[in-house]
Amino acid sequence: MSKYTLTVNGQSRSVDVAPDTPMLWVLRDSLGLVGTKYGCGIGECGACTIHVNGSPTRACQTPVSSVGRSPVTTIEGLDAAGKHPLQQAWVELDVPQCGYCQAGQLMSAAALLRKNPRPSDADIDAAMKGNMCRCASYVRIRAGIKRAAELRSGGVSEKGGER
Amino acid sequence: MKTTRESSSSPVVDRRQFIKVSALAGGGLLIGTYLRIGEQVAYAATTTAENFAPNAFISIAPTGAVSIIAPNSEMGQGIKTGLPMIVAEELDVAWENVTIVQGDLNPAYGRQSSVGSGSTIANYTPLRTAGATARAMLISAAAQTWNVPESECTTEKSAVIHSASKRRATYGDLAAKAATLSPPANAPLKNSKDFKLLGTRVAGVDNPKIVVGAPLFGIDVKLPGMVFATYTKCPVFGGKPKSANLDEVKKKLGVRDAFIVDEVPGLTPGVAIIADTTWNAFSATESLKVQWDEGPVASQSSGEMAKQADAFAKATPPAALPAGVKAVEAAYHYPFLAHATLEPQNCTAVFKNGVMEMWTPTQIPGSGQGLVTRGLGLDPKNVIVHITRLGGGFGRRGSNEFSIEAAVIAKKLEGTPVKLMWRREDDFAHDNYRSNGWHYFTAGVDGSGKVVALHDAFVKMQGGPGDMTAGGFPFIAIPGSKVDSSKLPAGIPTGFWRAPGDNGNVWATQSFVDELAHAAGKEPLSFTLDLINAVPAPTTPGRGFDPAKMTAALKLATEKAGWGTARQRGDGMGFAITHTNNAYVAIVADVSVSRDGKLAIKKLTAAVDCGQIINLSAAEAQVQGAMLDGIGAAWFAKLTIEHGAAAQTNFDDYAMLRINNVPPAVDVHFIKSSAPPTGLGEPGLPAAAPAVCNAIFAATGKRVRTLPVIGEDLKWA
Repeated sequence: MSKYTLTVNGQSRSVDVAPDTPMLWVLRDSLGLVGTKYGCGIGECGACTIHVNGSPTRACQTPVSSVGRSPVTTIEGLDAAGKHPLQQAWVELDVPQCGYCQAGQLMSAAALLRKNPRPSDADIDAAMKGNMCRCASYVRIRAGIKRAAELRSGGVSEKGGER
Repeated sequence: MKTTRESSSSPVVDRRQFIKVSALAGGGLLIGTYLRIGEQVAYAATTTAENFAPNAFISIAPTGAVSIIAPNSEMGQGIKTGLPMIVAEELDVAWENVTIVQGDLNPAYGRQSSVGSGSTIANYTPLRTAGATARAMLISAAAQTWNVPESECTTEKSAVIHSASKRRATYGDLAAKAATLSPPANAPLKNSKDFKLLGTRVAGVDNPKIVVGAPLFGIDVKLPGMVFATYTKCPVFGGKPKSANLDEVKKKLGVRDAFIVDEVPGLTPGVAIIADTTWNAFSATESLKVQWDEGPVASQSSGEMAKQADAFAKATPPAALPAGVKAVEAAYHYPFLAHATLEPQNCTAVFKNGVMEMWTPTQIPGSGQGLVTRGLGLDPKNVIVHITRLGGGFGRRGSNEFSIEAAVIAKKLEGTPVKLMWRREDDFAHDNYRSNGWHYFTAGVDGSGKVVALHDAFVKMQGGPGDMTAGGFPFIAIPGSKVDSSKLPAGIPTGFWRAPGDNGNVWATQSFVDELAHAAGKEPLSFTLDLINAVPAPTTPGRGFDPAKMTAALKLATEKAGWGTARQRGDGMGFAITHTNNAYVAIVADVSVSRDGKLAIKKLTAAVDCGQIINLSAAEAQVQGAMLDGIGAAWFAKLTIEHGAAAQTNFDDYAMLRINNVPPAVDVHFIKSSAPPTGLGEPGLPAAAPAVCNAIFAATGKRVRTLPVIGEDLKWA
């Protein structure tokens, strides 16, 4: 066991876990942030996508010992009030089916929009193909990202916890 | 043979229905609908007025707040939103004032199984009746208060209105008085043309929670002092542990206990490991070494099954064809499929004071309760099941092994809550797979291009659904058609995978119908329409295959898709039809295949007759998702059995559909209907893959007769 102090959603959080513990389980079991989901444990499905230093990262492949004080953002920190343009678009277009993959989808999409405010279908496919949706809500995921891009350009801000 | 398979049959619902009313503390109204379901009647009947509240479908507080129970399991099919919409429609309550509460397992809620696209079908009339009854009582309360005839009162947005005297009372105002009245026996139901809510687009009620990562799913359940468990079973089906390095495992970080479990009725023997965190439980499981008694299933393999299927086909030839009739023969094969729900199986349980309390992501909560009741000798009243949201179902969570596994561990750890968590590898290794299947077709086409004979030698695994008779299309269109079926020896567990039976069989039959059209020298659309119209109209309206409805769906889909437009080589369109869960679905696929054999789907167009639409948003999402699910499985997915065990372990060797393979356009057209709703979680699936395969043939001249498509050579020159 080792002690780590992490920066999660803008807050300093301390945990005492084995060094090889993936961030996925640190978030879920130690910090009670269960929005980040376990799907495969091998970085194939994208359900556990978080941001580390603003980059989309598979939490199941990220040992806690590798994170240091790099800022970590989870779905709970994207915008706790659900006002991020992507969250608004997801609700407006009724994107989720079972909803299990959607935290990962939203985190990958948020990273995409920050780099590319008006992504094409091809841009979306390239950025999102690591995120599996078993219900195949893909048609609305594409539409949701485009709607969020519109909301963003129309002035909906991304305050959120991305720090 | 595993012993944890459960009965597939839904309980037979006795339609006698009991409306029960009682007062809500503080002067509100509660409406409960009692359905009698087989042996559970006694349990429901013991519910007393004092504890009636948990059984109420509807409660109306004096503040006007309306709460409606969602009795079924939400797994993405939209049932948690759709069923309360039915109540709200008849109640005439403003949707934005409604709070939806997930119901626990309770016999008072009627059919809580979410399988077979049956939840809406089973609950449509009971829930309409519950809503209409509550509305009638609120009208009575207002009419009595105002001393006016009930017939002069109307309702709108949670209020009763008496236009003549310009009086208006909210449901909240009336709730206390309504609770003192007797419910009417036959409250009138609305005419569907007056629906205001049903058929509109309503977003899923949990969406705001989903997008902020709030806890909803089984995996998210957290209880004070909870520990985490894995349960490792023999990779070879039917095998059991002889011994294991338990002393070594117990020394691993965070491990509380490790033990072999055997001899519990309904439980597959295995090794339980309990730790303080999920990761420590998973890590300790990695170090587990077990001596297995593999048993006889170890001799089974997919390759061996193919040989057995071939042998059956050779031993079951078709009848000789009449002179002058051309024989068309083709053999189709589809593999096993895993369900691969994105949320791996899990269950949280605590055993305290003789009561097992469980939080379960399950499609059939009653069967989970039954397993635990029988396995541990508990009374059903002492097995409480809370239904969580499900991270996907697709039929997988119709069986409940995880319930009994969690309960057995919780009983041993009496007083300590335990979350049983399957690793993804456990989920692939111990699924109830979609059965593999083989169809050996022989048809006879006469000189005029008419199909005069059809024979199918059909082989699948023993167990699970999907047995085929000559009762479906196209067999019912061809007099004298015959299906001889055989089952491979039992051993590999198979079960319900979205659109059971149809998910593979419709691919085979609809591909072969397209082959027959070409063999007959006919245009496929007119050929299929002729075949559809050779089916006799159903004797009971609304039951059985209705050629008029199927024709309407196929005509609409092909018209919207622009069927018949000339295509250059490498581009092609194909269509397929299905009658599944009593819905009629036709799908047109527009594909492109590069010279080097790379497939791209450009567009999917579906036409659907599913009766009355409940929630247009969810209906469209279900059809889009089901089509893509069917295509993804047919394109990429294959589970093989080697040495009696699943060869694939995770998503790196079991490919599934990703966004980059999704066509830019996936259009769904619904045929307007006021007929009762059919199921819709599954009907969009079966016709999608054959539409794509028929389009591949149109584009390349290559016929896909073995799935997955990714394994086929589609190169053309």
